[in-house]
Amino acid sequence: MAGVIARYVDVLKRELDFDPMLAQRMADEVEAHLREAAEADPAWPSPEAEQRAVERFGLARDLAAQFAADAVSRQARRSWIALAATVAVTFIAMRLRVLWLGDTGDSFSMLAPLIDRYAFVVATAVAGIGWFAFRLSVLPLAVCLLALAASIAAGIVRAGLFVEGAPLPVLLAAAAEVALIGLLLFHVVGLGRRLRRTALLRRPG
Amino acid sequence: MLKGHLDAIVLAALEGGPAHGYAIIEAIKNRSDGTFDLPEGTIYPALHRLEQAGLLSSAWTTPPSGRRRRVYALTKSGASRLADGRKAWTRFAKAVDSSIGGGRAWPA
Repeated sequence: MAGVIARYVDVLKRELDFDPMLAQRMADEVEAHLREAAEADPAWPSPEAEQRAVERFGLARDLAAQFAADAVSRQARRSWIALAATVAVTFIAMRLRVLWLGDTGDSFSMLAPLIDRYAFVVATAVAGIGWFAFRLSVLPLAVCLLALAASIAAGIVRAGLFVEGAPLPVLLAAAAEVALIGLLLFHVVGLGRRLRRTALLRRPG
Repeated sequence: MLKGHLDAIVLAALEGGPAHGYAIIEAIKNRSDGTFDLPEGTIYPALHRLEQAGLLSSAWTTPPSGRRRRVYALTKSGASRLADGRKAWTRFAKAVDSSIGGGRAWPA
């Protein structure tokens, strides 16, 4: 019966398209709920019984907005964990490069050591402020991402990892830095997408 | 105000045993004598959130009546969270009652 309930479930599925697995799960679960509620209505079977079940359930958009807000919190937590891991690994990689090169080992550029060090300092400072004041905002995470990317790139250039034969721990640490910055980018983009979706769902109309 | 306590209310509704979403919302309505007449959909983000937090588990079941339902159950952590929430609520309710419930004059 492609009636009121089926149409409602279709709308809900569309509103939850930011998470396809959740959308499918909720479509199945909500349909079972609505059918049971409609069958408990004295007017069952009728479109009016389905309509009343849907009205008692609430707007699909409101439901999707609540799921989207929860998704923002989860994604923000993942992003901050990825940032903490990236900061820790970048710090270890920096120390390994200094141990290998010594303090004056940078033959490629005068600028690279400065960017390596101060971009990292900026990233940790912004991360500290962002964690306490703007935990659900994408901006501090994006600033940290850019600063860490600059620090990592400068560190790799500084050490000349592509030119000279670097020891395995230094190379592994650099590879871990690059992998983590990729993971952080993935999470920050995901957070931005979920924040936009939540804002759209909360917009009236 | 209710929204802040919805998670605890849902956990309490599952204290008697596993149930599906429709039965949970009906239990909440009945236990509150119809005072908590929420839009029924409100329950699902809460159920999902509690499951993600490990306080509930869920599984699809097909009862003899034939309709497939996702049934939720309290986990050990959920039962422990409910006990903590209940203690906190009792303290809070007692304090509010003492403050605005009447029966004792404010000091002049």
